[in-house]
Parts: sequence; structure tokens; C-alpha cells
Amino acid sequence: MRRLIIIIAAALLVTARAQAPQPPPIVLSPTIPGDAKITATTVSIDAFQPDFDVYSWNTFIALNWPPGPNGNGDPKQTIGQNGDNDTVWEHYRDVRDVFLPGGKKPSWNGPPQPVPPQCKSLYKPGMRLLSQVGKTPTVLTDSSQPFNTGPIIDQNGIYTRFEILLNKTMFDYILNNSLYSKAGQKVFTPPVKFTCGVLATSGSPGVEGAIMVKSAWKVIDPSEKPTFHSEDVLVYSPASQNPKYAASCSAKTMGLVGLHIAHKTQNASQWLWSTFEHVDNVPTDADVKSGKLKTKYNYYNPACTAANCPPNQIPPRPWNPTKVSSFHSQVVRMNLFNLPIYKASADARNADAWKLLATVNPQSVWLNYELISTMWPTNPSGKCGAAPGDPLGTPAPTFLANTTLETYLQRTPPQPNVSSQCIECHNNATMTVPVASDFTYVLQRAQ
Amino acid sequence: MTDTPTPAPEADVQDFADMSAALTGFLSSVLKPQLDPVGLARTYYEFALSQVGAQMSTLLTAYRAIKTQPPQTIADTLLETSSATPSAQALLCQSIVAMWYLGAWYIPGNQGGFGFPPTPLQVISSEAYTNGLVWKVMQSHPMGFSPFTFGYWSQVPGPLSSFGVNTGNGGGQ
Repeated sequence: MRRLIIIIAAALLVTARAQAPQPPPIVLSPTIPGDAKITATTVSIDAFQPDFDVYSWNTFIALNWPPGPNGNGDPKQTIGQNGDNDTVWEHYRDVRDVFLPGGKKPSWNGPPQPVPPQCKSLYKPGMRLLSQVGKTPTVLTDSSQPFNTGPIIDQNGIYTRFEILLNKTMFDYILNNSLYSKAGQKVFTPPVKFTCGVLATSGSPGVEGAIMVKSAWKVIDPSEKPTFHSEDVLVYSPASQNPKYAASCSAKTMGLVGLHIAHKTQNASQWLWSTFEHVDNVPTDADVKSGKLKTKYNYYNPACTAANCPPNQIPPRPWNPTKVSSFHSQVVRMNLFNLPIYKASADARNADAWKLLATVNPQSVWLNYELISTMWPTNPSGKCGAAPGDPLGTPAPTFLANTTLETYLQRTPPQPNVSSQCIECHNNATMTVPVASDFTYVLQRAQ
Repeated sequence: MTDTPTPAPEADVQDFADMSAALTGFLSSVLKPQLDPVGLARTYYEFALSQVGAQMSTLLTAYRAIKTQPPQTIADTLLETSSATPSAQALLCQSIVAMWYLGAWYIPGNQGGFGFPPTPLQVISSEAYTNGLVWKVMQSHPMGFSPFTFGYWSQVPGPLSSFGVNTGNGGGQ
């Protein structure tokens, strides 16, 4: 199996050398890359990681490109040309509209689920609804004990909200295999095998594989709009018994603070995991230790000492997202990386991307987002499959966390099953029946 | 202020991995892959070096003298499999084999008592534990950590070769 990757890498190396000159590594393009393009001329983590980080930025740019009428990136427009813009991924299907009550069949262009009664007076056509207060409510919030995790509350005492959306490739697989319902899952013949993306070549346009996007949002003041990708949405909190509160809804301006992009590809059947954050979210552990802090963060108060505000603490219960909390999450990005290349590569690619985005518009909101890293399988087997003896594909980096989505999974030194590890964790996912679900938990939402 | 230990030369780590491959019956490309996000070969080599010092250099010199031999010959020579009283160097090789298989360091020559195995000095790291070769030979996984998907237990595991065992040249026997 190791020989296979060496052969692949050698072949890619020959290809890379044959294709001179190399295209610019990060490009302003609405095309989502079908896979990572390996241009490295040596086989090492140090050499390969930059290629995966370039892939992540190209994917981020394409997904945040202004969409045309068909939902795909509009080549006549450019990301950030007007500062902020509507995005491709926000026209993907929200899982709420895929796994419908009663296991009803969804449709890609169908209307969104009915607006809850509490939201009706506030609703304007096209408005989005954000309701989740955990990354995956059925897994991490409603059944949070195994992960011992909880909500993240910003420096204004407001709960962060989340949503998960699926691209059409992933939606179509779920639809065509009737995996949108418990009944369909029950009669499905395993394995679940989502479509893999394929890199475009001179003779082929490539394939967009299954993509999941998980986003994290915080309430912002309208004056903060120039520094966030923002949306005016309805924030809905369903009624709860413990703690007891009634359903409520409010119209808010929300700023994007975190974005996970997972893409299943030909050379990464374990999916490629790219994670981005707003640059003002949190300081790093090294920033805190050195005292090199910004004056303000979304999830960290630089004026509060570690004794008074211990970092990365789970908010005390009860968790009530309908109220302003006196607890403010004091979040620090811990260093989960065992090799310096991961941060160095992300930093270098961030600088490259920001330079490029600034050429479109120096006021682009997208200049406020940074890649944290890209997790990829170093032993992928290829051909949209995993090596039987190494199904996780020995990921690099071994651990990776987004501070808005895996806030409390940043234990250091990193530990398997405890510290955030995208591929390892998602490898445990199943459907509503005891069948592995190909690295996604969303199929557990089927009704 | 503490001194940062100087990293061991890459050539020594590579030779240690190649020697370990012969000793363990695995492929060197599995113990020290070119794309290596975990870096166990370096971790193990530097750990062993910290425990036995110059004895490690002597062992590598002995290995280099026979490195072109078949893996089984290298293993038999270094482990002194035909000897009833293995030398200190052979006992060190036993500890290296145990380190790769169990992710733990056993003091060379330290015997258990009353039929019990010896107690390891320490488990080297959580990743050493989860990456122990013993799990691969078992075509299984350690307690508390599984790389396999739900329901794997109902399926026949992949062949030993898919776990990196050198089934073709002296290993996997």
C-alpha cells in the first residue's frame, strides 16, 4: 500500500515536471477543484501539505464565489468585488430540508421547510433560518455526553449558531438511494459510497465529489459588516424541556466565524477536510503566552486573566440559547500540530490568498478569513477507496480543530479519541440503522 | 531554560527503520513511510538512544555491516536466535522489537518473574500504543481505538500484506 502512494507520487512528479510552467497556485476561479493537485517535487509531508492547502483555498474561493441563477459560481462576477457577496455554498441544501418529517422525499429545488410559527411575522422570502447550537445536534448536543462538549458563547454572551449544507452531488446520492428516510436506509444494501471528486485535466472537466459544508455564525452589530461575511437571518430556538424555555425566533445579522469544508475525492476516500476561521476569533496559545494579543476577539477577552477566565471551558449548565449569557467563552487555539509545516504552510497560503483577494477589492470581507489547515490521507489507496489495513489512510495533520466547531476537543498533548481528528471521528459515523455511513453523520437525521 | 535535544541524523533514523523492518517482519516503508505524519521511527530511535546511549550506535554499526543480507538473515544474526545466551546487543534488539510491536519500552534483559512477562518502563506515547504492530499482525485494533468502520467485525479482515507485513521476504511467517 505504501508502494502504491510512492508510485502515485512518482507519477504525479513526472506529470508536474512535464507541465511547465506551473499555473498560479491559488486562483480566482468559480470552479471547485475535484481533488488536490500535487505539484510537489519531493515526497514528504513538508512538500505535500502546501498543495493541499492550495486546494483548500481554491475550494474556499470557489464556494464563496457569487452564484449565478443555477447556483454555480458566476464567471461574470468575482468574489468580494463588492466587499461581501452571496455565496455558492449557501445555495446548497440545508440538512433540515433533506431529512424531512415522516421521511418525505426531498427535492433539490423544492421549497425550504415551513417557517416555524414564532418566525412567521419576521420572515421575508429567501431568509435563512439558523437554529443549531451544536455542531451536529443529534450527536453533539442532544447526546453530548460521549463527547462532553457544549455550546460556544461569544464575548457579548450570545450563543453561536451552526448549519450543515450538502452539495448537489451528495444530495443526489442520498436521493437516488432513498437514504433521506429511515425506511429507505433500512432496505439499503451497503456500503454507503458517496461520489468522489476527480481533478480536471486537459481532456476532462473533472468531477465535483460529495461536499459537506458546516458553518458557524455569531450575531454581529451592523457596524461590523465590513469585516464579516454576513447574512440577515432568522435565529430560531426550538422549545426545550431541560432547561425549560419556550420556542422563540428573532431576526439577526449574523457574521460567519467558522467554515468546515469536507470533500470526498478520488485520492481521498476519507475526504479532504479544510477548515477556515475568522481571523479575530481567538488567540493562539503561543499568543497568550507571549502576550502578543489583539485588543478584541470574538471569543476571547484579553483583559481577563487565565485565573479568572480559564480557557476552553465548557459553559456551565443550564444552556439556554434564548437568553444573553453571563458566561463568555474564553477560547484559545491550542497547538495540536506535531510538525511545524502545518502552521507554516497555512500561514504562507493565507498570505498568498489575501494578496490575491485584495487585488479584487482591498475591502473584501474575505480578507478576514484564514485557513487553519487541511487534513488529508497520506496513505489513500486511490481510486475512491481505502486500503483495507489502513482505512483511515494515516491522516496529516494527525489532529485538527476549528475553535468554533471543536472548541472543547483541543486537548494537548493530543490524544486519539479525545483531541479533534476529523477523519478518525467521522469514520465512526453510521446511518439510523447500524451501517457505516461513509464519514458523515448527517444520515442519522433521517426520520 | 532547557536545552533542546539535537535531532538524530536522518541517515541514522533511516538505518534504524530498515534494521527494525528486518527485526519485526514489516516493510521499512511501513515503519518509516515517505509521507509520515506520525514519525514513530524517529521517536523510537531517539527514545532508544536516550535509554542505551552508545550501545545504539554499536548496534547500528553491526546492522550496517550486514544490511545487504536478506531480512531473515539480519534478524537471525542480530537477535542471535541460535544462541541460548543472547548478548546485551541481542537483548537490545529484543527491546526494539517489543517497542515496535507494543509501543512500550522494556529495559533490555529485564526478565519477568514467576512466569509473568516483564513490566515495561513506559508506554512511549498514545500514538505508539495505537500504532503498535501487534494490532496489525492481529489484523485488528487496540482496545479503545479502532480505525475500522462500524460492523467491521462481521467481515473478513484484509490480508496481512495490506497491514504492511512483509509477507514476501522473511516476514509474516
